Amino acid sequence: MISAIYNFALTTGANRVIRGGRIEHVCGDPALGPEKDYAYGMRIVTTALEALGTPVTRPTLFDPLAPGPAREAVHAS
Amino acid sequence: MNTPLRAVHYLNQFFAGIGGEEQADVGVSVRDGAVGPGRALQTALGDAGVIVATLVCGDNFMSERPEEALRTIVGEMGRLAPDVVVAGPAFGSGRYGLACAEVCRAAREQGIPAVTAMHAENPGATSFRREVVIVPTGDSALSMAPALANLARFALQLGRGEELGPAELAGYLPQGRRRVHDRGRPGYERALDMLLAKLHGRPFVTEIPYNAPEQVRPAPPVADLARARIAMVTTGGLVRKGNPERQSAANAMRYHRHSVASLESLSPEDWEAFHAGYFNHIVNRNPNYILPLSFLRELEGQGRIGRVHTEIYALPGVSTPVAASRELGRAIAQDLKNAGVDGALLVAT
Repeated sequence: MISAIYNFALTTGANRVIRGGRIEHVCGDPALGPEKDYAYGMRIVTTALEALGTPVTRPTLFDPLAPGPAREAVHAS
Repeated sequence: MNTPLRAVHYLNQFFAGIGGEEQADVGVSVRDGAVGPGRALQTALGDAGVIVATLVCGDNFMSERPEEALRTIVGEMGRLAPDVVVAGPAFGSGRYGLACAEVCRAAREQGIPAVTAMHAENPGATSFRREVVIVPTGDSALSMAPALANLARFALQLGRGEELGPAELAGYLPQGRRRVHDRGRPGYERALDMLLAKLHGRPFVTEIPYNAPEQVRPAPPVADLARARIAMVTTGGLVRKGNPERQSAANAMRYHRHSVASLESLSPEDWEAFHAGYFNHIVNRNPNYILPLSFLRELEGQGRIGRVHTEIYALPGVSTPVAASRELGRAIAQDLKNAGVDGALLVAT
């Protein structure tokens, strides 16, 4: 699930949660300008696809803005 | 002594003694008086009510041909003119629970009060608890005796046209209604009493029950994204421009499926958002913010995913009760599964 209010998603049963932009523009950010906006959206979507390919045991956050290719999953407490 | 209330009882083929699963296709039949568990129900009703007839239908017949079954049942209700209809108890049996709830709803539509009993997690209860008076039971017929006693109590109350008290006090499943009534003491006093009880470890009853979200077993990972069929679902209220399907802006009771087989991207000329829970103007300039078709197409072209699923799913995710959302989600998931989808991206606004 890609969501800007990712804490909500983590506490309501979604197991693979991807941090989105904002509620009004979940997969991107128009304030970045067209090119960066598209790159950011692509980053969100590829992170979501990585999440689909990653085994999880409980609600887990995947953050497209976290540095490095191997992102560590943050678990909901 | 008043004349006894006239009750009609509904049973499936099993409890009516016709047979088990092999008889689940039998159609609607009518018996005089009480049958099977109806006899104990009659005892529980005592002199206050009499079961004038028992309507019986096979569980498969009811689930496969509901209109035909309910038409016959409603016809019989008209002929028998009961003061109250009692269905079940159905315990944990899903088809039977749904049948009991359907029969009660049909009775209510005819102006006849009705009550049924089943386990709180029976699909009949999760789907109909808002519309039908449902008494919770255990999940098996081991809880038959208390279930029938409760059914009798509610049947008499409803048959006499008495108002039921609040669900948590009267003992039926909450219907999600709020009624204005005077609890006698102001809220701050009741809240402080609850707090004190909590601090002292004493029991107390909340006035706002909290339903903890369910734990969902995580799906196994997609083994090979480069061969996977990936679908997209959005709760952002995506609609075709002008909303020709007349999607609601909130409190969704259905979802909408659209083909994107021939599209590379969602264009603002053809798509927009209709959702009462957020400002739609940014999405209306670029609908891919809530359904990332443009990105997935590029990744499909690069071979990083196998295929983009031809159908997308959309609804406005705002104000819909959890039970209804669960049913919508289940239906979408089933549809995706049937279509051989390996993974789905759900964009939630």
